[in-house]
Amino acid sequence: MAAVFGPSANLAMKLVLIVGALGLLLLYFGPWIFTRIDYSTGVQWAYPQPVPFSHRHHVGGDGIDCRYCHTTVEVAASAGFPPTHVCMTCHSQIWSNARMLEPVRLSLAEGKPLHWRRLNRLPDYVFFDHSIHVAKGVGCTTCHGDVNEMPLVWRGATLSMSWCIDCHRNPAPALRPKNEVFNPNWHRTAKTPSGQALMAEYKIDPARLFDCSVCHR
Amino acid sequence: MNDGPDPPPGGAGHAFWQSLDELAQSPDFLRRLEQRFPDEYARLAELAASIDRRRFLQLTAATLALSGLAACGPAPIAGLVIPYVDQPEDTVPGKVRLFASALTRDGLATGILARQIMARPINIEGNPDHPASLGASDAIMQATVLDLYDPDRSKWVIDNGEVSSADALVTALVNRMPQLGKTQGEGLRVLTRASSSPTLSAQFAALTRLYPRLRRHHWHGGWRDNLREASRRAFGRVVAAVPKLDKADIILAVDSDLLNEAPGHLAHARAFARRRRELASGGRGNRLYAIESTPTVTGANADHRFVVAAAQMEPVLRALAAHIGIGPREWAGGAAPSWLPAVAADLAQHKGRALVHVGPYQSVSLHLLGHAINAGLGAFGQTLEFLEPPELDTSDEISSLSSLVADMHKGEVDTLLILGGNPAFTAPPDLGFDEALKRVKFSLHLATHVNETTRLCRWHLPRAQELERWSDARAFDGTATIVQPQIEPLYGGWSEHELLAVLGGAVRPQGHDIVQATWQGEAKRRGIADFATFWREAVRAGVVPGTRSPAAPVTLSPNIISEISATGQTDPPALSVLFRPDPWLRDGRYANNGWLQELPRPLTKLTWDNAVLVAPALAKERGLANEDVVAVETEAGRVKGPVWVMPGQAADAVTVLVGFGRRVVGRVGAGTGFDGFPLRSSNTLTEAPLRRLAKTDQKWPLATTQVHQHIHDPLHPGDILRFGTVEELRRNPDMFKGQSPQDSLYPAWPYPRYAWAMAINLSSCIGCASCTMACAAENNIPVVGKDQVLRDREMHWIRVDRYYRGDENAPTETLFQPVPCMHCEDAPCEVVCPVEATMHDHDGLNVMVYNRCVGTRFCSNNCPYKVRRFNWINYTKRDPRLDLAWNPDLTVRARGVMEKCTYCIQRIREAEITADREGRRVRDGEVRTACQAACPTEAIVFGDQNDAHSAVRKRKDSPLDYGMLEGLNTKPRTTYEARITNPNPALAEG
Repeated sequence: MAAVFGPSANLAMKLVLIVGALGLLLLYFGPWIFTRIDYSTGVQWAYPQPVPFSHRHHVGGDGIDCRYCHTTVEVAASAGFPPTHVCMTCHSQIWSNARMLEPVRLSLAEGKPLHWRRLNRLPDYVFFDHSIHVAKGVGCTTCHGDVNEMPLVWRGATLSMSWCIDCHRNPAPALRPKNEVFNPNWHRTAKTPSGQALMAEYKIDPARLFDCSVCHR
Repeated sequence: MNDGPDPPPGGAGHAFWQSLDELAQSPDFLRRLEQRFPDEYARLAELAASIDRRRFLQLTAATLALSGLAACGPAPIAGLVIPYVDQPEDTVPGKVRLFASALTRDGLATGILARQIMARPINIEGNPDHPASLGASDAIMQATVLDLYDPDRSKWVIDNGEVSSADALVTALVNRMPQLGKTQGEGLRVLTRASSSPTLSAQFAALTRLYPRLRRHHWHGGWRDNLREASRRAFGRVVAAVPKLDKADIILAVDSDLLNEAPGHLAHARAFARRRRELASGGRGNRLYAIESTPTVTGANADHRFVVAAAQMEPVLRALAAHIGIGPREWAGGAAPSWLPAVAADLAQHKGRALVHVGPYQSVSLHLLGHAINAGLGAFGQTLEFLEPPELDTSDEISSLSSLVADMHKGEVDTLLILGGNPAFTAPPDLGFDEALKRVKFSLHLATHVNETTRLCRWHLPRAQELERWSDARAFDGTATIVQPQIEPLYGGWSEHELLAVLGGAVRPQGHDIVQATWQGEAKRRGIADFATFWREAVRAGVVPGTRSPAAPVTLSPNIISEISATGQTDPPALSVLFRPDPWLRDGRYANNGWLQELPRPLTKLTWDNAVLVAPALAKERGLANEDVVAVETEAGRVKGPVWVMPGQAADAVTVLVGFGRRVVGRVGAGTGFDGFPLRSSNTLTEAPLRRLAKTDQKWPLATTQVHQHIHDPLHPGDILRFGTVEELRRNPDMFKGQSPQDSLYPAWPYPRYAWAMAINLSSCIGCASCTMACAAENNIPVVGKDQVLRDREMHWIRVDRYYRGDENAPTETLFQPVPCMHCEDAPCEVVCPVEATMHDHDGLNVMVYNRCVGTRFCSNNCPYKVRRFNWINYTKRDPRLDLAWNPDLTVRARGVMEKCTYCIQRIREAEITADREGRRVRDGEVRTACQAACPTEAIVFGDQNDAHSAVRKRKDSPLDYGMLEGLNTKPRTTYEARITNPNPALAEG
């Protein structure tokens, strides 16, 4: 009687086993890996915007302070988003005919707001407050990345809960002297007071920072 | 179980009960007592029986396989950022801003501060500078916000049942004006609700110049007609009698809801509670007597509440007058109850410091008696102040309406503007309002909602809601407020001022300009040069300075005694029906408001329905029980409604609460309750002889919350409620001292920074439920609906438990106890949570982490106070309110998540962050919880108990302070101050 399985069946069987095992591994680790790659987290992933606004040009090149546009960052939970009028304070004078700025001019003329794509977003059950972070010496670029290098803005960090908690457990490395908070080019030097010293100065109690109710309400 | 030392006296030994079932210890009650969700287990058992093992495993596997999907959140790039084009000055995104305005009830204003986030009002707080609010607010004021965001509001102009436009309406109106001008306004009528608006008054004056034959009518239900008529007879004209409870030592409320319904009730309640709290510290305090046939909130707070038969009200008050020495001697004869001499003596001994207040629903002769007694007690100018009335129109409402209807029948009315209200629903049927209205050629109905009246009118114009329009209004004492809009009209509504301006010839009138013009005139009269500043300041403050009504000089008619004898009741009926507006829906105006529908009524704890209130004795006699449908018949008509057996109701009267049973109403109000208005006739507006009370074989389920979340400790009732008389307290100042905490297995946790805590004073709480409503508005509490309330699933985070003591027919005591989360330091809920979704933070708050909760409900089962609420269904998704209405400062909870009072953690965080940024501690009073801010009587105090000078610390140091179920050693952060009453020693219970 001829063999039911020829010699090639051995190979096929091995392949099936290997592919199957790999498949199982992929099924198990795949989602774990997928949620961590930049495509999913959005880190370093730029998206088209109605106006190709460049932070690299405005912040890195022109040296405009963050607070010129994000006006409420020191007093409110929300950092604030510039109304069309703020764009037009300069662009009614310079580049006033640039085709790139047509949507901005249209917005002002028609009274219709610009619709920007939101990049940094937290779930609805998280209540983040910009003002307290800024007041406690956390710099803008600590979370938002090197904004002054971004031609189109992208996420500087994952904004996942574990990322938040890393810092809430050990805030010292993220702290700066107060006058450097809005400086995108700031780097820790030998003269900078240590994180521990800054924590003491700002009266930060890491035990409290770990309460659920700090962010969830 | 509790084996600590015996609890103190006061509570122990007194039998409290919340429902008649409890008083009778019925088996159903005992079953409910043992379980948190009594009917849920039966349902679960049923479900379990219907599923076999195989199916169960299938479902389990499917649950497991699909559970991963729940983790798939939104993509990282989600949504849009839409900034302003031109951001208004001072706008800070997400920050709460307060804007003053006023809301009106029965035409009178109560000042508010609307809390706005991103230019939309989120909730309402009282304006501390306004005399009718003093910072407090009531449930209806809170719920106005939901009315604003009601998706069932009227959105279109309607012409003969077809959608039309405002332009078409204006054209139609303007086309009639030449004809009207020619005839000097012959046939032109305007029907308004009660109003106190100076602008409306000025507009009518101007219109009358233009159309001299224009006639104005007013109708607000006719509830206060008797009161006005009595004023006319006693003083020759209508004056506003304003009680001054801060000066009154002895108060007698005669069927009067002075603390919860009278004009200025928030201010009265505050003054009353302040005097009441004096008792505990040895001050003079006050004493409140109430005589009534149907229970009121004020009666519930009386030191002595006497149930008087409806037919006996007048003889009893006459006898009281005679005992004080007013009126002829024969008044004293007849039916004088045993308590009467002592009450009369008490009043007579406090001349100049005593006050009698008669409720608006009582007859003219009772009001006259009240005036006579007050005069005899020297109350005028002392405990009672007379002011010029703030209302626009003080004429008789029913005559005003019936003359209009008569003219409509005769065909003399050809243009009728109905400015707000719903007369087709509230008018007595004997007038034939509906038929008459159909004969009017041009009828226009201006209202926020399409209602019964809209159907009968040719035109309908959407009205701008109270929070959307410019107007003005006066408080009970005359103080004027300029009403500023909090938001642009959502559906393009008009205000009555704008509509009347069109009639006056204005083109595209603006409410702002009309109101401003009125005050420009006023400023000119006063000689104010800088109007811009005057206007700005008046709008900002919410009070126009110097507008309080002047005192009205009054002299009591010398013939008052003969007048009383002449108007007196001759032949009282054996049984009567009393008509009262529902505490929340009023005359049906708020029928489509889910918050008010679901807010338990203070005394009956009913939701979503009205009822026929029947005394226990009468119910026994007629074989009636709760939920039995009865037919009630008067001369005017016949209706069917469910029975509610009401402890403390007089046996010769049934009470029909009106305002429910609306026929043309939005989706919330549809199918709720029954309509009691057909029982009224134009001469029996508040009380009618009962012709027939017949039991039918139908049942009508009533959703009452009085037996939900029932806590109880049969061994130590004093562990829940503690109370005593001022006399007992004097003898034993430590009578309420709680048990000292017992030793715990766990070491005490230190709270070095803040220790947030709450203290609730039971002597002050009047049970008005403002706290529950304020909490619902602030904390995104969903409305669950009647079927869910019937299953014990209401979501309110703070409930007000109502207890009775004594006999069911005449309970000697009614006690209210607000119950929020206790924030126990050793919280029983935390130890049973398998996922640590509920835990303590470093300030001692028992926090609930919604995104961790998996819905085991163990915590709820283990909570001795039953304060936890579970989202059985996706209530927030089903909720029809506009998305604008949700408070963005805290989570909107989803299905399967437990929730409970957080001490308004969003407000705590806001204050902490602000303080932290400024490098200081949170100041006392900086954090005010929503319930605390609303409370008219300052019963609730919140703050940091670590701060030795904080208000909450002072309350907690009082010898009256105790924790609920202290013996369980939960160390609650919410504690209570025992209730102190001030009964008349001469009436000491036998």
